[in-house]
Amino acid sequence: MEQQLSVRHLLGIKDLKAQDIQLILDTADNFKEVLNRPIKKVPSLRDITIANIFFENSTRTRLSFELAEKRLSADVVNFSASGSSVKKGETLLDTVNNILAMKVDMVVMRHASVGSPHFLSRHIQANIVNAGDGTHEHPTQALLDAFSIREKLGSLEGKKVCIFGDILHSRVALSNIFCLQKMGAEVMVCGPSTLLPRHIRDLGVKVELNLRKALEWCDVANVLRIQLERQTIKYFPSLREYSLYYGINKALLDSLNKEIVIMHPGPINRGVEITSDVADSAHSIILDQVENGVAVRMAVLYLLSQKK
Amino acid sequence: MNVLLKDVTIVDDRSSWKGKKVSVGIENGIIKEIGNISGTYDRVLEGQELMLSVGWFDMRTTMGEPGTEHKEDLETASMAAARGGFTGIACMPNTKPAIQTKDAVAYLRSRTAQALVSAYPVASVTLNNQGKDLTEMIDLHHAGAVAFSDGDQPIWHTDVLLKSLQYVQMFDGLVINHAEDHLLTYGAQMNESEVSTRLGFKGFPYLAEELMVARDLRILEYTGGRIHFATISSPGSLELIKNAKKNGLQVTCDMAAYQLAFDEEHVQGFDTNYKVNPPLRTKADIQQFWKYIYEGVVDILVTDHIPQDTESKKLEFDLAEFGMNSLETFFPMLLASCDDQTFLTLLPKFTRAPRTLLKLEQPEIEIGKTADLTLFSCVDEWEVKPSEMRSRSLNTPLLGTKVKGKIKAVFHNQKLETF
Repeated sequence: MEQQLSVRHLLGIKDLKAQDIQLILDTADNFKEVLNRPIKKVPSLRDITIANIFFENSTRTRLSFELAEKRLSADVVNFSASGSSVKKGETLLDTVNNILAMKVDMVVMRHASVGSPHFLSRHIQANIVNAGDGTHEHPTQALLDAFSIREKLGSLEGKKVCIFGDILHSRVALSNIFCLQKMGAEVMVCGPSTLLPRHIRDLGVKVELNLRKALEWCDVANVLRIQLERQTIKYFPSLREYSLYYGINKALLDSLNKEIVIMHPGPINRGVEITSDVADSAHSIILDQVENGVAVRMAVLYLLSQKK
Repeated sequence: MNVLLKDVTIVDDRSSWKGKKVSVGIENGIIKEIGNISGTYDRVLEGQELMLSVGWFDMRTTMGEPGTEHKEDLETASMAAARGGFTGIACMPNTKPAIQTKDAVAYLRSRTAQALVSAYPVASVTLNNQGKDLTEMIDLHHAGAVAFSDGDQPIWHTDVLLKSLQYVQMFDGLVINHAEDHLLTYGAQMNESEVSTRLGFKGFPYLAEELMVARDLRILEYTGGRIHFATISSPGSLELIKNAKKNGLQVTCDMAAYQLAFDEEHVQGFDTNYKVNPPLRTKADIQQFWKYIYEGVVDILVTDHIPQDTESKKLEFDLAEFGMNSLETFFPMLLASCDDQTFLTLLPKFTRAPRTLLKLEQPEIEIGKTADLTLFSCVDEWEVKPSEMRSRSLNTPLLGTKVKGKIKAVFHNQKLETF
């Protein structure tokens, strides 16, 4: 029998077993091969309708999902609303029920509230893919990051990955921590102390406040975007000071005498958390991440469609 | 109406019948005889292992009226209180408008004066609970306010707290504070811990409560007077309160039953019924709470009943309102968190202690006294059915579950209700 996921929704990496992640990454390998063919489309999700519901702004994640869906021959509908629909008088549940009434099989949702895809999964029948819920999880990003590291370094086992930047508000960080740990990698977080959750060590990650020391430790640097838009409270005085002490530049990397794989989930604030010469260097796999994102999302959608 | 309570165990430290299994005859709201029964009675209440205590008292009820009658009003809150075993409730000024005029206070007192459940208004310390301008507390006291509080809002302004503690001394009044430094809890959804980190939620640090408790105690030392901390949720705060008591300060505190029944891990399923303020803490904290309860540092146990309608709860977690519907499930929640014998030792904390603190008359289980009684069973099980809830709201995680500990009857003001 063909292997299946242990879950019928992808709500977070936390709910996945290591075998699930392995299965998704292996399936993504096959889809990546498909994406390099002259004809990039497969009929796997024909007659499946997928709704991409984005309550928060997104360019690349939505585009990546949409491309993955189309490559799998699914029918796609898009819904986006800036801000919370509740403010407009309609609840999340009503919005989604309306879309489901149109007979949708799967929902890909991004929402500003932690746990909103979990909330939805209790009330609707469709398979749900979390495309980011507030400051909680962004599972497909972590999967594509894991895929990209595996592709570059051969495996994740024993690799040292450091996540840099705003850990406190980052769903990418949290999903990455869960995913990398499940796949046997060592994880460190590095950033200004005000942007590190107080109990982050309890998740079994190393904490380093000094950028240089963190870079000396790691094989892979996953640099996060500084999320000024999610900060209602001031966590650091200025972007200038941030980039001086936590910005990664070429001179710093050159002085380390070692090769570090550079990753970034995008969109990049060039010159803030990372300089252009680093983002565009040979060590950067930032664009591979984007390419792999489509293959990984194809894998996720395909595997979930097997779970009714 | 004449009622006979047959073979019930009296659980009340002050009664001369304490610990005895006897029959109690009630005639026209008065306890007519205990032990040897000679009278004839229209109605007999009996059952296995029934216990009789004085009527229970909840010191922290949000009753929704005026302002949020779609969630609860005085009538539904009273009916829910009776079903939960309470014959008296202290109502928080979490109302719109706040309880801040003598008319509002007098109205609440008079409307329930002859009712099965008496409601005792706690009036606002500051106008609209905004923490700025003091209400006319002497006048409110004379109208019948039993204490002063800004409800679910902390009295955050240092000088306002200081002045209110000084002002209420003119009538030996009580100030109740909800200790929470809002600057440290902005956007917080649950306890700050490993669990909140995993869930990506901003947490309530213990510090936010402890800082305000420490501040308030220091002010109390300066002003004198009486302060009561509502729904304490941090062992650190309890240690501060314990030391303050040792130093002779007039400080008391209460804790909500849900705080003992549930821990923070319940939040992991994003069930908004577990979204409460103060938040559910850790299992280790609950062990500490029990230590402070046994030591007498926690004086009172409360429901912290906060009714919320479906529209306020069936939402994304961060958009949902705080609060748990707890009047009807207080007893099962408490009983689930300890054994029956321990539970019986806790009775004074929701019968005698709140009445003493609020200077209310104490009911007695003696012949010739007015019947203000709660009849209950620690062994009976029942299902928390939505259709049977007396509260207008259903925001309890126990809905649809089977629980142990049932209220069989309450008596007060010549009225009887059986369940």
